[in-house]
Parts: sequence; structure tokens; C-alpha cells
Amino acid sequence: MVSATQEQAASQAVRGRAKRQRDEELLVWPDLVFIEFIAAVLFTITIFSLSVAINAPLLDRANPTVTPNPAKAPWYFLNLQELLLHMHPALAGVIVPTVALIALGAIPYFDRSNEGQGEWLSTPRAWPLTILGATVGIVGTTLLILWDGSKHVVLWAKLTGHDVSDWPTKLNWLRSSRSLQTEVNWPDSWRHVPLGSKVLRTDLLGLPKINLNVDIPAMVVEQIIPVSMMVGLPILLSLFAWKIGLARTRRDHMILQFSGFIAVYVLMTIVGTAFRGQGMELFYPWQIKPPVS
Amino acid sequence: MATRERPQSRSLGDRAYDILFHNALWRSIFRSGYPNTPRNQMLVVATNVFLHLHPTRIHRTHVKITHTYCLGGLSFFLFLGLTISGVLLMFYYVPSVERAYEDILRLETDVRFGILMRNMHRWMAHGMVIMVLMHMMRVFYTGAYKPPREFNWVVGVVLLVLTLLLSFTGYLLPWDQLAFWAITVGTNMVGSAPILGEPNRFALIGGYEVGPSALIRFYTLHVIALPLLAATFMAVHFWRIRRDGGLARPL
Repeated sequence: MVSATQEQAASQAVRGRAKRQRDEELLVWPDLVFIEFIAAVLFTITIFSLSVAINAPLLDRANPTVTPNPAKAPWYFLNLQELLLHMHPALAGVIVPTVALIALGAIPYFDRSNEGQGEWLSTPRAWPLTILGATVGIVGTTLLILWDGSKHVVLWAKLTGHDVSDWPTKLNWLRSSRSLQTEVNWPDSWRHVPLGSKVLRTDLLGLPKINLNVDIPAMVVEQIIPVSMMVGLPILLSLFAWKIGLARTRRDHMILQFSGFIAVYVLMTIVGTAFRGQGMELFYPWQIKPPVS
Repeated sequence: MATRERPQSRSLGDRAYDILFHNALWRSIFRSGYPNTPRNQMLVVATNVFLHLHPTRIHRTHVKITHTYCLGGLSFFLFLGLTISGVLLMFYYVPSVERAYEDILRLETDVRFGILMRNMHRWMAHGMVIMVLMHMMRVFYTGAYKPPREFNWVVGVVLLVLTLLLSFTGYLLPWDQLAFWAITVGTNMVGSAPILGEPNRFALIGGYEVGPSALIRFYTLHVIALPLLAATFMAVHFWRIRRDGGLARPL
């Protein structure tokens, strides 16, 4: 008897909830279909006007013997081409994008909580986390790009009234990332570490011998520094945000890292598109001349 | 004096409506009546193959523009627009090193609205890359990837890659200096991967440098293989949105 009443009450509550949910719902036709239609019309008009106003570029016929300077990839790959300037091509062209895409796809399997669904930045601290991640990403990447472009030398020259070539020879190894390889007195043997004949003795197993020489200074500049920057700085950022109590849940860390990633991605696309001129050197956009062949 | 209600005589509009819409031919195409009652409005969505991507009802908050900014829908819309303008462009374009560049020149000068067609295809392609990226950001910041929608996020990442590949393969087709060197730079990046890089690059451009076989490969990927693949993944993407209960909502 009692259970029957309880059941009845429960079912009434369920029915009440279902009813209230119904009241919150709209019919797709006309409420949604109308908005979609308007969006499609507005977009068609925008694309149409853009196409009337700006012509798609068409340069001279393709000529494999004439390399334009700079030769740039499509704009959405210029972020990778920007990476290419600072590290080993295998890292910039393949490994970083692959790891980034896998990490992107893994977000929902890392952050499995249900909080903050269906509303813009609705978890507590979401906005500060977004701003922190984006700011650190933009500032950090800008500084790294400027350092690798030796812009701190230019700044020093401007501040002290010296010429860029007056930079003390003792500090030559600080000119850019690459000068760590060329301007430091590395022992000669470090530049050719014969892994093939000393460590990876595949010939002992009856396999073909590997001819692999490792150039440690080059490895430091092209692989170790970039990887430690790309992996280490985000980890430091997360640790910092955790220590000051800003990032507490997995969702918080995801917001922080995703915001940083998007900011770096957009920044590098902009730098690659608008700030790289002849020889892929850094220029202001108004100083860049059209590519020469 | 008692007034008697007389049935009003049917207006001309009513009769025209009956003749047009209440006949066997119209009814054989559209099963539901004119969507001016809730019942017909739901039927028109449920019985139309294009509209049935939608549910018949939707939560009030999901209709707000600022909730989604229509970004996913606009990406799909641009895909459709690209398909239409792409088919038109295919009428005038032959993917051979001898003809490709001349065909684009002819398209711009000799074909009526040819340059408009090319411009629209190009701006829509750029727009689609931007829309897809912004759609991804929208889904992330609204937390819409959370269970049960995890796998649909992965499908979305695949669609992002396919969008970039579609745009990249189309970039070579005009066969001008911009196209040639952009693809050379891009495929050199693929070639730099350890071990698998060089074979992959060779398979992609059909040789050691960008040439006739690269053009025909990129063309085939661009007009058939990748659009079919993208359409398949889109079907899965949209289907799963419905199966996972529509757009994400606060619990």
C-alpha cells in the first residue's frame, strides 16, 4: 500500500519533470529552420560580395626551375612552417602535428567529468584560465620567436647605441638558438658520435649495420631544446596554475592547455603569414615585399 | 430576432490552395500538409530526408544564436557550396600539366561568370577551414565533448584533418607558381618524417618532385576520394549528434 503511493508520487514527479521539459522546447520548424535559412542567406551574400570584390590570386605558370623567395605553404600550414624554422624538420613537419592531433582527440578521454556542459565557459574559474593560457602562450611564443630571430641583439644595440655587430664575442652563443651549436666550443668528438659502430651493434645480430652518427650539438638545438620548450612550458604552466589554486579539476587544466594551444596556433599562423619576408626572416608586415624569384 | 450563422463561402485563395496542394501528385511528394499547425510542423521535419537531420523539437536555449553561432552548420553549408561550385569548375578544368594553367586563364577570361565561380570556390574553401576551427573551439568551450559525446569529438578531429587535406589538395590545381611552391614546401614537410616520411611523400606526389603525377593524384583526391570520405564522416558526425541526445545541455 505504502509502496504503491510512493510509486504514484514518483511517477507524478517524473511526469511533472517531463512536462516542464516539454514546455522548454520549441519546434524545429519554424524556430530553428528559419535561423538556419537566414544564416545560409547571409553567408551566401558575404561569400558572393567577397568574390566580386577580391579575385583569387593567380601567379605565373608553375616553373620548377624558379624558386620564389620566400616560398610559403598555404596559410593554414604556415604555423608548421614557422616551427620548421626553429627545429628539426621531422619534429616540425610530422611529429608535432601528429602528437597535437592525437592530444586533441584525447581531450574527452582525459577530462571525463560532466561539469560545465552545454554552456559557454560555465565552470568556475573558466575565464581566468582561458586568459592565463592564452596570454602565456602568446607572450612565451613571441619571446621565443624573437630570441631565435636574434631580436634581443637588435634591442641591445638600439638601447646602448651600439651596432648589432658589436655584440660581445663572449656572448655569441646567446645570439639565437642556432648559435648554441655553432658558437660553443663543443668537443669535436661530440659532433660525430658513431652510434652505429659503438652502441647499436645490429651487425652482431646478423642484421645490416646501421650507419648512424649523432651530432650532439645539433641534436641539442634542433630537438632537445624545442621539445623541452613545447612539453616543459605547458607542464610548468599547469603546475603554476595548480599551485595558485586556479586549476583544480581536469576540465580546468584542459581549458588552460587548449587556450594556450589555440593562442600559439593562431599566433604562429599570423607570424608565418604576415611577419615572414624574404629568406623567412622577421619583418614588419609593411616592410615585406612581394616574393622575388 | 435570431441570427443564423451561415457558412462563409470559400475564398479564391482557399480554392487555389486546395487545387495546388490537395491533389494526388502533390501528396505523393509531400506527405504532410502545409506546416501551419504543430502537428504538420513536426511531420514536415520528420518526413523530409533533408530536414530529418534535425529532431522535431529542440530545447529553447539551443535556438539562441550565441549558443553555437551556427558554426557547424555553416561548415556543412560551405561544404555543400564547395561541392556545387567545384562541379561547375570541373567542367572547364583538365588536370594535366599542359592544360591546367591555361584552363584557369581561360576560365577567368572566356567563361561567363568563370572568375566568380573560381573566387567563390576559393573563398568558401578558406572560410570552411576557419569555420571548422571555430566550431572546434565552440565545442570545446561549451564543454560539448563530454560523455556521451567523446567519440563524436574524435570524429570531428578527423573531419578537421580532412578539411585541411581537401584545401591542401585543391591548392595545387591552378598550377601556378603559388600552387607549385606551396605544395613543394608542404610535401617536403611530409618527407622529413623519420623512416616513413620519404615513402609517404613519394606515394603522395607520385615521384621525387611535384610534377604531372602529383597533379593527377591531388586532383583525384580533391574531387573524389576526400569529399566522399568527408561526407561519410559527416554522416557519422550528424547521426551521432542525434543519437547522443542533440546538443549538450547543462545537467
